[in-house]
Amino acid sequence: MQCDEAQGLISASIDGEVSEASAGDLRQHMAACPACAGVQADFRRLSQQLKSAEREILPARLETRVRQALAQAAAEARPTLVRGRPWVRQLAAVAAVCLIAVFGTWTITRYVDSEARIEQDVLSAHVRSLLQDSPIQVASGDPHSVKPWFNGRVEFAPDVKDPAAEGFPLAGARLDYVDGRRVAALVYKRRLHTVNVFVWPSPHAGDIAARLIPVKGYNLLTWSHNGLTYWAVSDLNGAELQQLQALL
Amino acid sequence: MSSRTTFEQIALPHLDAAHNLAYWLVRSRPDAEDIVQDAYVRAFRGFATFRGGDVKPWLLAIVRNVAYRWMSVRKRANNVVSIDEAFAPRAGDSVGEAWLASEEPSPEALLIGAQERARVLTALAALPPAFREVLVLRELEELSYNEIADVIGAPVGTVMSRLSRSRAELRTRLGALIEKDEKDAV
Repeated sequence: MQCDEAQGLISASIDGEVSEASAGDLRQHMAACPACAGVQADFRRLSQQLKSAEREILPARLETRVRQALAQAAAEARPTLVRGRPWVRQLAAVAAVCLIAVFGTWTITRYVDSEARIEQDVLSAHVRSLLQDSPIQVASGDPHSVKPWFNGRVEFAPDVKDPAAEGFPLAGARLDYVDGRRVAALVYKRRLHTVNVFVWPSPHAGDIAARLIPVKGYNLLTWSHNGLTYWAVSDLNGAELQQLQALL
Repeated sequence: MSSRTTFEQIALPHLDAAHNLAYWLVRSRPDAEDIVQDAYVRAFRGFATFRGGDVKPWLLAIVRNVAYRWMSVRKRANNVVSIDEAFAPRAGDSVGEAWLASEEPSPEALLIGAQERARVLTALAALPPAFREVLVLRELEELSYNEIADVIGAPVGTVMSRLSRSRAELRTRLGALIEKDEKDAV
């Protein structure tokens, strides 16, 4: 046996954790090697000194403290929604608050955004229709001609009326594109003013009372009725626009 | 019988060992008490996962984990506890009181023995925690290699080699301490 091998076993030998064979080999080496024998003696003495060293005295209050802490832990051990360490619960709470905040903000901004976008879209569609030679694809004052024209062009049947007697003659209709979808546009006249009434289905909206939104000198009037959303846009004054809404 | 009563019956007898290990790892009495309390609460909460067998290594492993976490927090806080403070005599401590019980050796021999032991403990306290803990578990707690392996979560072979290196390191440092003391005495 070499010294380095012996040195690896000396520590385990004084703990009685080496095999009989190894212990015998070690004894043999030790008899011939004073250096390793010295290490073993030193290790033995160290071991005895440590074993006989004064232990840390257990403070009497510690047991009381531990018992109290355990009683408290047992009381807190009732089932909770989120089990685990306090930081897990804190993290869960923070995550929940963040989630609610994010979802809430997202919902609100989405709603506000979509409102603003639709306003922009209907106004643009109205202005664009006036820039062209004619705002209408089908020119007819007869609701029974206009309404069937939409068949196959949009996936709903808009209610078409001709309140010509009240001074709002129906000029015709066309298709337009608002808020990412194909919508029906009914065109009415009032003296020299043109009124575009955009209609699309909104099955979940329910009936919503009319709301007047003035934008850049135009008046936008929106309402929902019978699962359809209406946006009337014109440079006509708001009162007359509301008059038209009552007729439709 | 509630699970708390069962836990207290099997865990509280090891309070002394838990406290001793915690103290030797962090070398601060108030912190050792906090660590023991925290470790016992954790052990109680995890009692359901205890697979049976010897409770002492399982409990000491938890104490060790809590102590290591505490040490890493302290390291970050850069709060160093001095050895002097850690070894300051406690109220009621006296060499005579501790050693007169055996009666046999002369007072001088006792004093020398006490001095040597104090020097060994100082050297032990200065060892890195990985060395210190195996020595504390082996010499102070008298755990077997298998039990130590359970506590530190390492194979028995590692326990064996680490104990060997720890003793060699302790021997070297003690030699240096003795040399220094003798120089100071001159």
